[in-house]
Amino acid sequence: MRTALEHREPDRIPLDFGSTAVTGIHVSCVAALRDYYGLAPRPVKVHEPYQMLGLVEDDLRAAMGLDVTGVLPRKTMFGFPAADWKEWNFHGLDVLVPGDFRTRTEPNGDILIFPEGDETAAPSGRMPMGSAFFDAIIRQPEIDDERLDPADNLEEFGPISEDDLDHIERTVRAAGGSGYGMAAAFSGTAFGDIALVPAPFLKNPKGIRDVAEWYMSTRTRRGYIHRIFERQCEISIENLARIHTRIGDAVDCVFLCGTDFGTQTSAFCSVATFRELWFPYYKRVNDWVHAHTAWRCFKHSCGSVERFLESFIEAGFDIINPVQCSAAGMAPAELKRKYGSRLVFWGGGVDTQKTLPFGTPQEVREEVLRRCEIFAPGGGFVFNSIHNLQAGTPVENIVAMLDAVHQFDGVSHA
Amino acid sequence: MPDPVKLREAVIEGDWKTAAAVTQAAIAAGVAPLAIVTGYLVPAMDEVGRRFECEEYFVPEMLLSARAMKASMDIVRPLLAAAGAEPVGRVVIGTVKGDLHDIGKNLVASMLEGGGFEVIDLGADVAPERFIEAAAANSANLVALSALLTVTMTSMKTTIDAFQAAGLREKVKIMVGGAPVTQQFADAIGADGYGQSAGAAVAVARKLVAA
Repeated sequence: MRTALEHREPDRIPLDFGSTAVTGIHVSCVAALRDYYGLAPRPVKVHEPYQMLGLVEDDLRAAMGLDVTGVLPRKTMFGFPAADWKEWNFHGLDVLVPGDFRTRTEPNGDILIFPEGDETAAPSGRMPMGSAFFDAIIRQPEIDDERLDPADNLEEFGPISEDDLDHIERTVRAAGGSGYGMAAAFSGTAFGDIALVPAPFLKNPKGIRDVAEWYMSTRTRRGYIHRIFERQCEISIENLARIHTRIGDAVDCVFLCGTDFGTQTSAFCSVATFRELWFPYYKRVNDWVHAHTAWRCFKHSCGSVERFLESFIEAGFDIINPVQCSAAGMAPAELKRKYGSRLVFWGGGVDTQKTLPFGTPQEVREEVLRRCEIFAPGGGFVFNSIHNLQAGTPVENIVAMLDAVHQFDGVSHA
Repeated sequence: MPDPVKLREAVIEGDWKTAAAVTQAAIAAGVAPLAIVTGYLVPAMDEVGRRFECEEYFVPEMLLSARAMKASMDIVRPLLAAAGAEPVGRVVIGTVKGDLHDIGKNLVASMLEGGGFEVIDLGADVAPERFIEAAAANSANLVALSALLTVTMTSMKTTIDAFQAAGLREKVKIMVGGAPVTQQFADAIGADGYGQSAGAAVAVARKLVAA
């Protein structure tokens, strides 16, 4: 993986599944893969209940032929630690969930989940009956523009706790010597990530927490958002410094921000808006990382983002994910030609909107081989599907995807 | 005399307070409610759609314009109903069962309303039977289904099949949209129309109700 990140062609394409919350696997797929590879039968841990992502443990990582392990956040999106596991039945599948994963089933079958596991608080997430994921419940207090205080939108951004530092150090040390590449998510460095705006991890979120209101505020309350980003930037750099003091350069890359700038056919803002509102803060964080560490900066943004890639590079991002080739203007060969020597493509391996969930294993195989032919030459490619493997993806297709990568590399696994 | 042209500008610029104030003033001055819709709101939202299509506008600007249009429509709508004005069409819209994503659906609903349609918005996570009940109760001639997730796209087919089973499939046109949805998928599940964007959805809807 390190060779690939240095834009040199490695002996085989590094493969990631499960190292971050944007390159993960739905718990039902993790269970199916464990079964497929004949691994010890045991309930899979749901390390991230928001997206119901299952933990990829060492035995599955080896069976799938993966090359990356992750420093996952200590706390989940619902604000409780991913620890003290207990049994839970998810649509007939026995899984393990964190001890503070507390839910209430509504009369219509919807499942509500509580922030910090506090059942006296208003629920902050809902999984509709028959669905496979939670979504944030919008809890927007009435907005009085005269009294809006950036501190209200900064509640979740503060000095990193000793518990978090211990968790990071422990995880890094445990993975040290494993030979795997290491991707880390340290939290707090995502500027205006729309998944985080509703703050499902807080009991009483204040400020602007409604998704549509936030988007509109990027036009109408730009000064307010600048003040949030400004302070968040200072806090995150202080936190990154403390983390680096603890773990040094032991991780290879840091997943810094998951704010989506692309839609399927267009963008969430113009390049000019991006450069005015986001670019200065990204650049400051990335510049600090590059000046003080050997970490590489990992940016996630779904959708049609070709127009932003030059700015991402200028802002100091080294890695782009998930490389949504199905979105407008995201043709893989063109991306590789224009940006391949300057940006690592961490994703783009196979389409997850159509081919992987609905195609045949042969169609999956053919698409994966085509993508590897485009992205692999010269390095700068870490294989991952385009975003997480979603619930309902046939295990045969996942295996066909992995086998195709291994076939491309000329190696045999499992 | 108020200047209703300012209403068009207010909607395009996303200024809901001005949009509401100009609408109130226009009504007080005797401008016909239907003239406000057809003369100002529809052209304004057409312009917003055009700007979105050519990427002068993005989601935030669309949301602001939609809010301004709604502020005006909230004043005009009861008067239209009282006057018995007929909309371009009646559309029941919702995000399908299992899917809670509603920003795209809300934008399409606003664009349709701004396009002269009466919109019955059922929200998100809508079961097939609720679409059927609402379509029947409101004598809708159009049903618009939204999905963001690959795992909920299948609910679109379930909903279309439910209209068939209820014997109502021939009475309504059904259009679909959402990030993972394609024309090919729309054709495969037997939808009548597919809109790639909020602006395109209005053109599709107009074509379907005219057919």
